[in-house]
Amino acid sequence: MQAKRPVISYLLLILCALVIVLPLLDLVSLSFKDLPGIVGHPFSLPEKIYWSNYATAWSDGRLGRFLINTAIVSVVSVAVIILFSSMAAYAIARFQFIGNQLIYLGFLAGLALPIQMIAVPLFILMRQLNLLDNLISVILVYSASGMSFSVFLLVNFIRSVPKDIEDSALIDGAGYFHVFYRIILPLIRPSLTTVALLNFVSAWNGLFFPLVLLSNPDHMTVAVGVLSFIGQYATQWNLLLPSLVIVMLPTLFVFIFASRQFIRNMTAGAVKL
Amino acid sequence: MQRRTRLVVITFLAPAVLLYASFIVYPFVSSIRYSLYNYDGVGPLTDFVGFKNFSYILFSHAFAGQFWRAVWHNFYFFILSMALTTVFGLGLAYLLVRVRESISRWFQVIYFVPMVVPPVVVAYLWAMYLEPNDGAIPTILQDLHLYKLNIPFLGSEVWALPTIAVITAWAGMGLPILIFVAALIGVPNEVIEAAKADGASQFRTFVSVIFPIIKPTFLTITTLNFVGAFGAFDYIYIMEGTQAGPNYATDVIGTLFYRTAFGGFGTTAQGVGLATALAVLGFVIVMAVSAILVLLQKRASADLF
Repeated sequence: MQAKRPVISYLLLILCALVIVLPLLDLVSLSFKDLPGIVGHPFSLPEKIYWSNYATAWSDGRLGRFLINTAIVSVVSVAVIILFSSMAAYAIARFQFIGNQLIYLGFLAGLALPIQMIAVPLFILMRQLNLLDNLISVILVYSASGMSFSVFLLVNFIRSVPKDIEDSALIDGAGYFHVFYRIILPLIRPSLTTVALLNFVSAWNGLFFPLVLLSNPDHMTVAVGVLSFIGQYATQWNLLLPSLVIVMLPTLFVFIFASRQFIRNMTAGAVKL
Repeated sequence: MQRRTRLVVITFLAPAVLLYASFIVYPFVSSIRYSLYNYDGVGPLTDFVGFKNFSYILFSHAFAGQFWRAVWHNFYFFILSMALTTVFGLGLAYLLVRVRESISRWFQVIYFVPMVVPPVVVAYLWAMYLEPNDGAIPTILQDLHLYKLNIPFLGSEVWALPTIAVITAWAGMGLPILIFVAALIGVPNEVIEAAKADGASQFRTFVSVIFPIIKPTFLTITTLNFVGAFGAFDYIYIMEGTQAGPNYATDVIGTLFYRTAFGGFGTTAQGVGLATALAVLGFVIVMAVSAILVLLQKRASADLF
């Protein structure tokens, strides 16, 4: 479907891309300015670069602690989701057993569940398990809630692939664990990239559950940590902006690293929605 | 099934099912149970009140107004998101499939970037630009002498929610664009050529030929937007606080639920029973509408063949 006059298409696409990119670049540029420079002159490059903004924000904002906590939560959740959901998807997609469809639909129903709405029973449950104010509570919630989309995606992907290779491996005497590890996992790797990226981003950016389940600043993740930092330094944009930049860099790097394959998977019908 | 195979299936399923059952299904069922009690969250459940929490939320003089206002705001937010997604999500996807694929991919990457930026960052970035005294946007509007457009965006009862809807769309357009691009790539070239040969204009071709083919995808996006709109919380909480100001003009089920469950500025009634009853009503709305949309989507895809 090539256009006859692609110039207008390109102009519109570039315009929208600028609306996306300019504010983010401006945020980075502003973060190097002093306070009067930020307030008076938006969209202008800094005349003098204030690296000290970053040093002060880093030490005053306790960003190091927050970043480590968030990294633990995101990495562990993603690892749990990938391992557990690929195992479950293999069982659901490849074995006929009673309750197969029921279990699949159970996972699917979670896609329509606004997860925050079960925050109260989760809070009570975590208190009973003595996990309040412990990163494990947030990891458990993220791992469990990430399962729905991941199982859905992987079951569809595995079902769309012919069974031949697995069958011949099984006939050759390979065990199911061997088949899973040697055949299924390599096969679903593109989908796993998508699952890992989406879940990493939502775990890193998540605000609600850390807000509800964690209270000690030492156990806080960046999203909530920065929010409390902002509460104290409300108008000190020269300290606030560097911390915002630091907070957004990790997910940005992960995305840039995986973006080409991610976009290709998403538009190549790896996700059938 | 052989015993050995059954053991394998159970081993593969158990971790995911146990985790999901413990931290999604069990809390979900507990919500329903708690909603039937007068309960403050500590100690045993003893004070069974039947549907009193529900009738308090739906009909009482003190609470019903807040509830229905929040539901309306969620619904309004959904409509705004759908309008923005249709114009920008579908519009940009339409342009993207008309340009060279290698270039199109770069644009898709760019449009997706804000989706990976934490909402805290997005919220403060735009709060800074919209700051009424010396934010970038009011300054630009002043310089252009567009005084009429220089409204207190986030501080206005009328404009706060639409402003947040636009910010949410700015941050979240990447995924709908990708999904629409995938659908538009699947539209066979022959039908478009045939329409062109019959003398149909571009707009006509889109409405009568392309749209019916991508209608199932459109309904999927509608479902995603509905679930998203009824789960709205982060931006409103960060930019307008727990009381969802100005004067509750941005109060949605998410923020009302948060206040009812955990308290905070602007709270008028608090309790675990009441909060879970509110959550159950939220589930009912979201699940019922999602079920209808999924059925419509199944019918639309069946109509194609």
